[in-house]
Amino acid sequence: MKVFELITVLALAAMPAAAELPIADIPPGHTKTFLVIHPHHDDHSWDYGQAGLITKLVDAGWTGYYIRVSNDEKDGPHGYPHDDMVNLFEAREATENLGITDVISLNWRNDYMDAMPINEIRAQLILLIRKFRPGLVTSYLPWGHYDRNPDHRKVATAVGEAVWLASFANVHPEHRKLGLRPYRVPNKFYSQRFDYGKGYEPNVIVELSESNVRRKARSYWVHRNVRLSGSTGRRMRALLKEQGLEIPELEGLSDIEAHARMQEWSMYDAARKVGRENGVEYGEMFSRLGEWHPWPGLKDYLESNAVDQ
Amino acid sequence: MNFLKQRMTTTLLVASLLLVFGSSPAAAADKKVVLVITADASDYILAAGGTIAKMLDAGAEGYLVRVTNDDKDSWDLTPEETARRTREESEQAAKILGFKEVESLGYRAGELGGVSPTELRDRILFYIRLYKPAVLFIPNPYAEYVEVLDRFYVGQAAEDARRAASLSNYQPPFAVVGLETHVTPELYYYAQPFDPRRREAESTATFVPQPKALDIASTFDKKLRAAQALKTINHSTAMRIKDRLESTDRRLPLLDEINEESVNRLVEINIHKLAEIAAKDTEHSQAEEFHYAGVEYQIPSKYLQ
Ligand SMILES: [Zn+2]
Repeated sequence: MKVFELITVLALAAMPAAAELPIADIPPGHTKTFLVIHPHHDDHSWDYGQAGLITKLVDAGWTGYYIRVSNDEKDGPHGYPHDDMVNLFEAREATENLGITDVISLNWRNDYMDAMPINEIRAQLILLIRKFRPGLVTSYLPWGHYDRNPDHRKVATAVGEAVWLASFANVHPEHRKLGLRPYRVPNKFYSQRFDYGKGYEPNVIVELSESNVRRKARSYWVHRNVRLSGSTGRRMRALLKEQGLEIPELEGLSDIEAHARMQEWSMYDAARKVGRENGVEYGEMFSRLGEWHPWPGLKDYLESNAVDQ
Repeated sequence: MNFLKQRMTTTLLVASLLLVFGSSPAAAADKKVVLVITADASDYILAAGGTIAKMLDAGAEGYLVRVTNDDKDSWDLTPEETARRTREESEQAAKILGFKEVESLGYRAGELGGVSPTELRDRILFYIRLYKPAVLFIPNPYAEYVEVLDRFYVGQAAEDARRAASLSNYQPPFAVVGLETHVTPELYYYAQPFDPRRREAESTATFVPQPKALDIASTFDKKLRAAQALKTINHSTAMRIKDRLESTDRRLPLLDEINEESVNRLVEINIHKLAEIAAKDTEHSQAEEFHYAGVEYQIPSKYLQ
């Protein structure tokens, strides 16, 4: 071994492993209602989706609503109106699999959102926040960068504005006519492609069980319109065969079933990777903004001085 | 940009900066102007009030531009009444810190996402050319996790305004009415401590704003009194905290009764803690943190040599 190689090895050995993130508990929900707000039908279940957290909340007795902001008309092989309908149908099936109670589709035009006034999308979200009074909102990180998907950027910003402003009575005072009072969302769990660009600071992980991951993995491929293709399954198997490899678990499955199985494995891999980096088996990463986030100078005081009534 | 043009631009920038810092008798006689841009009545006080007061105490002339009218931040008041009261209270607070004038642009709070960034930039640009500040304070648009997104929109517009104010091809009509271009040599980006990475520079190069913590012990009391002057906003904060606690079957003994005394105490706890957070791991006991772009960060060192 050359000297510089030895030095490199020693230096690497001396380097501390990346710090593990703290594990976030499910917050003690007052309303036990949560909102998942996303631009698209399938944002809940992919490598950076929050389906694990969703199933944990459902298991803990929470009621969840999925708000789909766009109409997903661009996503799929069938053309505008058909894709819109199929994707909404599959969003219902996939989120039902996670235990979500209902999908509320706002139907803004998919991938045309830059031209849409943020205040209009935000207004709808504020109304829904005041209606459901969620103990937790999960979405993409409003401060995310490098996300190339324009709908992700737009909706994340609208969510950031909505959770900030829903608590002020003078924002949309007309809501009072419906008996809807201002409401501040106490817990925000934001996710992002944390490995996509620099500068992200996820601050917690949510530990998942195999059952959480299983449901997430299924909800991933249930979006058949965009996630499953027999030709991909066939190609993957042909590639394996060319290299003299075979996967016993795929024997006897149709090409589409084989693709679904491989998609499930990719979800397990993603959850396992986050888990491995943080000392648990499976996990999801989040930037969590807690109950007293708006007042950094009062957070410690409130946490140590608030008492039960 | 070709090399010659780039060199000329740099030479012009250096020349302008030298003019501002120049030791001509006229320049020395002029008062140093500090211009503060804020989205709302409270943010600049909580994040930068002590540092600003210190500069004004030392003889600088202070101007505040408050972009929104804060009409949302109240409890049980109409937007109109909230806007009226916060305007009055923000002027009192600014007076305590030593400002000479406050300009309220009157944009409705929480609606800046729907305002054209160019419009906002040019409103701020106007004041930069009017007051010709030596020091500019703006909300840090790169600070993450700042939930009040008005601060982001204002920070972004103000940063752009500072650059555009120095270039004559922006807003030619301003020059017609006597508002000449102006280079602001010192820039402070401020934000309350939401961003866990706020102590990192945005890049390792020396050409970008650098983190900086400043001692505010001597003006801490002024900062506290200014923050306490914002009675409507402080009452709203206290009520919102109490409401959240009550809705979850908790209480904060301090807020059992919400009155001027208990709200002022809450503000005091907040201001003390913010000064402590900013002073952590520094030589100061009470501080404020910034990202700072002084003249040394605007000219690459190779040109200075
Ligand atoms: Zn998406």
